[in-house]
This record gives sequence, C-alpha cells and structure tokens, in this order.
Amino acid sequence: MPPLGTAPAIRTVGLVKDYGRTRALHGLDLEVRPGEVFGFLGPNGAGKSTTIRLLLDLLRPTAGTVEVLGQDPVVGGPALRARVGYLPGELALPPRTTAGEYLRYLAALRGGRGAGRITALADRFALDLSRDMRALSRGNKQKVGLVQAFMHTPELLVLDEPTSGLDPLLQHEFRRLAREAADDGATVFLSSHVLQEVEQVAGRVAIIRAGVVVDVDDVATLRHRAGQRVVLRFAEPVDAAELDGVPGITDVVVDGATVTCLLRGEPTPLLQVAARHRVLRWQAEDRELEDLFMDFYRTGPVAEAAVLDRRGGTAGAR
Amino acid sequence: MSAPTAARPPAPTTTAPAGTVLRGVLRAQRRSTALWTLALCAVGSMYTAFYPSVGGPKMDVMLEAMPPDLVTALGFDAIATGAGYVQSTVYQLLGAVLVLVCAIGLGGRLVAGAEEDAVLELEVTAPVSRTAVYRERLASLWLVLLVLLLALTTVLALLSALMGMDVPLGRLAGASLGLWLFGGALGTLALAVGAATGRRAVAVGTAAGVAALSYVLAYLGPLVEGAAWMERLSPYHWYIGGDPLTEGVDVGGYGLLVVLAVAAAVLGWVEFRRRDVMV
Repeated sequence: MPPLGTAPAIRTVGLVKDYGRTRALHGLDLEVRPGEVFGFLGPNGAGKSTTIRLLLDLLRPTAGTVEVLGQDPVVGGPALRARVGYLPGELALPPRTTAGEYLRYLAALRGGRGAGRITALADRFALDLSRDMRALSRGNKQKVGLVQAFMHTPELLVLDEPTSGLDPLLQHEFRRLAREAADDGATVFLSSHVLQEVEQVAGRVAIIRAGVVVDVDDVATLRHRAGQRVVLRFAEPVDAAELDGVPGITDVVVDGATVTCLLRGEPTPLLQVAARHRVLRWQAEDRELEDLFMDFYRTGPVAEAAVLDRRGGTAGAR
Repeated sequence: MSAPTAARPPAPTTTAPAGTVLRGVLRAQRRSTALWTLALCAVGSMYTAFYPSVGGPKMDVMLEAMPPDLVTALGFDAIATGAGYVQSTVYQLLGAVLVLVCAIGLGGRLVAGAEEDAVLELEVTAPVSRTAVYRERLASLWLVLLVLLLALTTVLALLSALMGMDVPLGRLAGASLGLWLFGGALGTLALAVGAATGRRAVAVGTAAGVAALSYVLAYLGPLVEGAAWMERLSPYHWYIGGDPLTEGVDVGGYGLLVVLAVAAAVLGWVEFRRRDVMV
C-alpha cells in the first residue's frame, strides 16, 4: 500500500455495478487527489449516487475496484468510515427525535467525536436543535445532514447533492464550510446535477453520463473549452462554405446574413474570414459551463469522442 | 470553550463502542415499548379479574355444554383451575397474540423498516460494522420483549395472590419464559428475513405466516387422526404444548424455539453482511 498522504483520496478502476439486469455503472474510472475539492457532475440517473454508495460500502461492486483513502471500503470497514463524512443524496431522519438528540447519537457512533462541534455548526446554519425532526422543512433537514457530515472534521467528505434544498444564503455558508475543510487539509468530493453549484468551490470536475466518466478537467479548463457563442451580422448574405474549415469554429448556422457559431480558442482566423465582408454586428459571449454540460448528455458516443479529442487539442495548445 | 484545533491528520480513528446502537434503538423505542407493556398488562389483568365470576364450578358447567373437540381446539382442557385459566386466556389467547404482533412488527421495523425509510443509511455508513448494527438491533428486540413479559409476569403474580388463584410463581415464570422465546423466535424471524431482503412487507408476511401456520398445526394436530407430526412442526406447540402453567416447562420445546431463533438470526446476519443496502 502506498504511504499515507500520497494515496488518492478516492480511486475507482473499471467500476461496474449491476442492479439485477440493469447496469448502472459501466466501468467507471475516477481519481480524486488528497486535499482537493472535486466536483462530480451528471444528470439524475447517471450513476452519481450509485458511485457514492459504493464508496461508503453500502453497495458492493459487480466488477472493478474501489479505494477510499487507499483502502477497499469492504476491508477498511468501520475504521475507514470513521475518517469519512457522508451526506446522503436523499436524507431521511427518524421522526419523534429532536435534531440535537439525533446528532448526539450519530456522534456517539463515532465514539463521541464531533459532539463538541454540533452546537457551533448548528449556529452557523441557524439550525434549531430542539425541534422534532418530523417538523423540519427540507432545508432544515439538509442542515442536519451537513452538520453530521462535517462535525467530526473527517479527512474525506463525500457529499451527495449537498446544497439541494438550501437557500442561496445557506448555499454560500456551505461553500465557506467546504473551503474551510479543504484549507484544513480535507478532501471534499461533492456531486451535483447543477454545474454552478460546484464551479464556485471545486478545483476539478468529473462529468459522468450513463455510468461512465466522460470528462475530467479543472474548472478553468472547462470554462475555456466551453468557448464563446459568436453571432455575426453581415451587410449581405454569405456562403456557408466560406466558413468551412476555419480553425476553432463549430456548430455553424447560417441564416441569410446572420452567422452563428461556437468559437473555441483564438478568434483571429474567424475575424480574417469575416473581414472579407462588411460586418454590421459582432457579438460574442462566454457560454455558461451549463451549456457544455448539456453537450455531454445531449450527444451520443461519437460526439463524445470528438469532445475528448478536442480536449487533447486544448491540452496541446496550452 | 473551543478546544485548539488539532493539525491534520489528527484523529486516531474512532469507532462506535459496543452497545451504542442498542442504546440508540432502545431510546427510540421507549414510547412504543411503554404502550405495548401497558396493553399487555391491561389484557392480562382483565382476563384474570374475570376469574372469580367465570372460573371454578361455573366454568365446569359451561365446558360440559360445549362439544369436547371444541374444548380441545380452544385449549380449555384445564381452564377450571387458576393456573389453567391463566394459561388458556392470557398465554394461549390474547396475551400471546399481542406479544406476537409486537415482536413481528418490531422485527420487521428494526432492520427492513429502517432501511425502507432510509433512516438506516447514516447508521451503516457510520464507523460501526454491519454485524454490530444487526446484533444490537436484534438484542433490542429481545430486550423490549423481556420488558413486556417481566411486566406481565409481575402483574399476573400480584393478581393471582390477591385473588387466591394459587398459580405457582415458578410456573408463571416458566410460561412467561416460553412466551418470551416464542415471541422472540418469530420476531427474530421477521428481523432476519427483513435483514436478508430489505423488505419489511416480506419480513412481516413471512413471520406472520409462520405464526398463523403454527397455530393451525397446533390446533388441528390433536383433532386429526394420525397427525401428531403437525404438532411437532409447530413453534406454538413447542411453546404451549407442554402446558407450562399446569405441567411445567417443556425443555425440549423451548429448546426448539431457541434453535429456530438462532438459525434465523444466523441466516439473516450472513445475508445482511453480504448484500447491498439501501438500493
């Protein structure tokens, strides 16, 4: 086993998980470095929660390997889970118990670790510990989940959709908490189906689609790759063929005198082509990462390969 | 107040000490345990309180008017004595049914129910082994039933003394032990099936089915020619067939209840450790 600290916080190789005849994960490869904040993105049903439940040893893999903090979760058992904080995607809390009572129970399951931080964390999220959990709103339940995940200052935080149900103010508070944990040396692994949720806190992001990781990159590179949507309006109609083969241009749509396209990288070649005509209007705006994310689950395997090729190209240009 | 924050990596790993889950579950069950105890004691006292008005000679007259087979089927053979009366009413009828309903319901809830309601998720992802979760949830079932039966035994002993029913305390304790084992075994079956499948309906259905079948076999056995095997297969007969209140504990029958409980517990444990949880 590699010495502590150099082992990836999370590593999966060729991870496959079947539920009966349904295959949820098709050979998932993932590596999360110690100390990073890592976003795990994908639409609902892509296999995010399945992957996370394999990390926590709730599920057992059909094939492939899982390592958490350098250990197989099955082998690591309770001692390994003592070093992990987990927030389930669909959190359920027992009724007829107050939040405080329940959190103290969860701390007791950790040999009392974290009990001392319950009050401070509850204050940060303005969570009333004395209320029956049956009466808690969705947002308040989520706060209970966050407190129990963070209270014992774990080395690895596995958070499934951490900000769902939280209002913007509390989302901000969550991001501060996650960053503090990361500054403190913890690894934070958070899943989401909304890119904006992770882009403000994550350094790197993996995109999962239909049970495989289709892309891993840092947020800055993803933003670069998302490129710009350019709209050009000419004085007279232009021939679409002119734009064929212009480097960095894709998704060209010509509508009379208006051309819309996606631009990745330098705009010079496009400007040179455009300058042959009289340009009335030039409009270029950054695409939201959301758009890029949409690309991944709109496209089929072939287009995906193209996206991955482009990644190679981008890496070369850097 | 705040301790100085330790540098990372801090923590010696800290796992759950034995008994943490048990204490947590018992705490969560305290209200329902109190209610069940109350209900069982109320039923026990109600029957016993009627003894002076229906027991003794009056009962003999009534029994003579009934077809003998029906008397056997209802288990009223020895109902005219104090001990026989308590056995026929509390231990064979409503008392046993209440204990069974409580045990099977609880058994189904403790693992499968908690899993279906998803409240088990934070427990099994905590630093506690699945074995410990299973073992301590099973222990809580037996402890809750023990509370029920200790209370029932105490109430019956008091009433018997007050009303001069002459039920020997040892016999009463022996019958309660049998009911504890009978309820415990079927509750364990429910818990084990629930732990193996994760489905409460399957757990409760299986255990309730076995319980119903065991009553049918025990009551039909004596009525059908050459069907003694029926009784021998019935956990209910293992418990009550030896007439614990009038004849004393049937060690073999009680032993079979223990075997049933242990076998179910082991099978449930093996499967619960192995399978996917919270699918």
